[in-house]
Amino acid sequence: MRCVLCRQLVQITWTLPVILGQRRLRVPQLCAACLRTFAPIVVATACPGCGRADSPTLCVDCQRWARQGALLHHRALFSYNAAMKAFIQQYKGLGDWRLHTAFQAQLVPPVSGVIVPLTSEPAHFIARGFDPVLGLFAHLSLHLWLQKTDTSTPQAQKNRAGRLATPQSFSVRSGVVFGRTRRVILVDDLYTTGRTLYHAAAALRMAGFRGEITSFSLIR
Amino acid sequence: MWYSGMQLLDTEVDFDSSVAQAVPGLADGHCQRCGQSALVQLPSGDYYCPHCINLGRVTSRTTLYRFPAPQLPSVEWPLTWKGQLTAQQTAVAAALVASLQAGRDHLLWAVTGAGKTEILFPAIATVLAAGGRVGVAAPRLDVVRELAPRLQVAFAHTAMAIRYGGAPWPQRTVALTVLTTHQLLRYHQAFDLLVIDENDAFPFAHDPALWHAVSAASRGPKLWLSATPPTRLRQAAQRGTMGLSILARRFHGHPLPVPRIRIQALHLPQRIAPQLIRQLQQILMTHQCLLFVPDIAWLAPLTQQLQTAITTAIAGVHAADAQRAEKVAAFRQGRLRLLVTTTILERGVTIPRCAVVVLGADSARFDAAALIQMAGRAGRSADSPDDPVWFYARHDTLALHQAIRTIRQLNAR
Repeated sequence: MRCVLCRQLVQITWTLPVILGQRRLRVPQLCAACLRTFAPIVVATACPGCGRADSPTLCVDCQRWARQGALLHHRALFSYNAAMKAFIQQYKGLGDWRLHTAFQAQLVPPVSGVIVPLTSEPAHFIARGFDPVLGLFAHLSLHLWLQKTDTSTPQAQKNRAGRLATPQSFSVRSGVVFGRTRRVILVDDLYTTGRTLYHAAAALRMAGFRGEITSFSLIR
Repeated sequence: MWYSGMQLLDTEVDFDSSVAQAVPGLADGHCQRCGQSALVQLPSGDYYCPHCINLGRVTSRTTLYRFPAPQLPSVEWPLTWKGQLTAQQTAVAAALVASLQAGRDHLLWAVTGAGKTEILFPAIATVLAAGGRVGVAAPRLDVVRELAPRLQVAFAHTAMAIRYGGAPWPQRTVALTVLTTHQLLRYHQAFDLLVIDENDAFPFAHDPALWHAVSAASRGPKLWLSATPPTRLRQAAQRGTMGLSILARRFHGHPLPVPRIRIQALHLPQRIAPQLIRQLQQILMTHQCLLFVPDIAWLAPLTQQLQTAITTAIAGVHAADAQRAEKVAAFRQGRLRLLVTTTILERGVTIPRCAVVVLGADSARFDAAALIQMAGRAGRSADSPDDPVWFYARHDTLALHQAIRTIRQLNAR
C-alpha cells in the first residue's frame, strides 16, 4: 500500500487477531508521517454539543442552538488545521477524487444508527464529477434520504453571519420510509457553524421522523 | 499577447480565444497537457488526469486552448553582458551556437562549479536577435529565482517573464521566459530555444510528464545542461543525434575531489561510532563540513549526539525547516562548523573549505547523480580545491561506484 497523500509505502502492523482472521484488517490509507500532520480532537475535552476541541462545557454557539431545539451532539475527528485545509483544497477544490479513501480507517461513527450523508447540490456534482461527502464515507452503508436543491453561493464563500442566515435547502426524498429507525447519524465533511446540519435535521423532522438525530463529521 | 504559446484550460481563459486551437483535454486515453495515460474515473463516469492536477484538473469535459506563438520582430544584438568568457568557455559557447544553427539538440555536460550560465548567453542572444522565443527551465524554484535576475541583467532590454506555481500571470508579450519545469506543461510549441538546467535533479529525472512537457513546449532545439546527465541523454550524444560539449574542469582548473568509500556497520542514527566522531573532529580542525543523511528522521538524533560529542556549532536543516535560511546563512559565515542536512543542499551551495561526509550512502534515495552533486559541494574554491569527501555505507552499491567512476573519468579528461 502507498500513502494516498505522499505516495510513500505504508507499514501495515500484522497483529495475531488480524492474521487469524478474528479482526478485520483496516488497511491504512495514510502513512504515519502524513497522519501526524492532522490534529485529532480529544473527545473527553470537546464540546458536548458540537464536538469543538478544548471546550469541556457547552460552548456559546451550542447554548444558542439549544434554545432553538434539541442539540445534535455532534462528534468530529479532526480540527481544521493547515494540513487539513490543504487536504480539502486538493480533494474538493482541485477535485482529486483519489483522496476520497484517505480517512476510511478513521471515519467510523461513534454510535450505531442509520447513516444519512449530506449530499452536495446537483450543480456542484456536475462540476466536480463526484460528491465529496459520499466519497469520504463510501466505505460505510449509506442511506440517501436527503436531497439538496441548488443554492446561490456555496457555504465556503460566506462569512459567519451569512452562513447562519442560509435558508433551508434540504428535503427528504420522496418514497423514503423511516420504518422503525431509532437513530439517524447525519454525516458531513465539515462542521463550521452547524447551520447545514441543523437544517438537515429539521428537514427530517418536517418529514415526520421521530427518532434520535445525531451527527458526525471529519472536521470541526 | 502574454498567452502566446500557452495551452490553457477553459477555466483559465476569460478572454477572446478565437485565435486558439481548441483540443479536448483527454484524447486516445492520454492527457493532452502532460501526455500521461494513468487516468482516473470519477463517479459521474468522466475521467480525469491525476498527474498534472495541481495545474488545474483536466477531465474528459475539459477543452484545452492552444495559443499560437508568432515570431517576434528581429532586434539588434540583445546581449548586454560585459563579462569575458575564458578560452574554454568561448569554444563551448561556439559549439552551442553551431548546434543551434544546425537545428539539433545539445548536451552541455559541465562539472559542478564550471560556470555554465554565461556559456549560454551567445546562444540565447542568437535566437532572440532573430525574433525567436527562448525558454529557460529549471526543476527547482530556488534555481529559477537565482537564474532570473542574472538573465535579466545579461539581457537588459529584453522583455522577460518568470513563471512558477503561484506566480501572477504575465502581463505582456515576452521573448524570454524563465520557468520551473512543471510550468512547461502550460506551453505548447512555444520556444524556438529551450534550455533545461539541472535536468538530473528531482523531480525532473523521475517524472515522465516533464520529459513530455519539454518536447511539447519546444519547437526548436533543446539545450540540456547537467553535471550528471541521465543515461538517455548521454547515449543520444554518443550516437550523434545530439551535440555534446564537456566542461571537465572547474573555473579554478583543479580536478574534482574524488570521494573515498568506507564500508562499515554504523548503527545510525541511534548511536554514532567513535571512529566517525574522531574522523569528524579531524575534519573540523581544518574544514567546515556538510554531513548528508538519507532520511529527515536522522537529523534530530544525529545533531544532538554530535553537539554533545564535538561542538555546539552544529545544526540540522531540512527542506521544511522554518529556520532553513538562517541556518544556511550561519554556516556560510562560519558560525556553524558542521551542518547535518538532507539532499536539499546538494545543489547550488558554494562554501569555501568545505568537506563532505555522506552517511548511509548506500541508501536507495541516493542515486549516482545525487552522490556526485553532494561530492561537488567540496573543493569549490581555488585555495582549497581538494577538500575531503567521504561516503559511509554499510555495503557497496552500484550507485557508489558509478559516482566515483564518473568523477574519475571527468578528472582524466
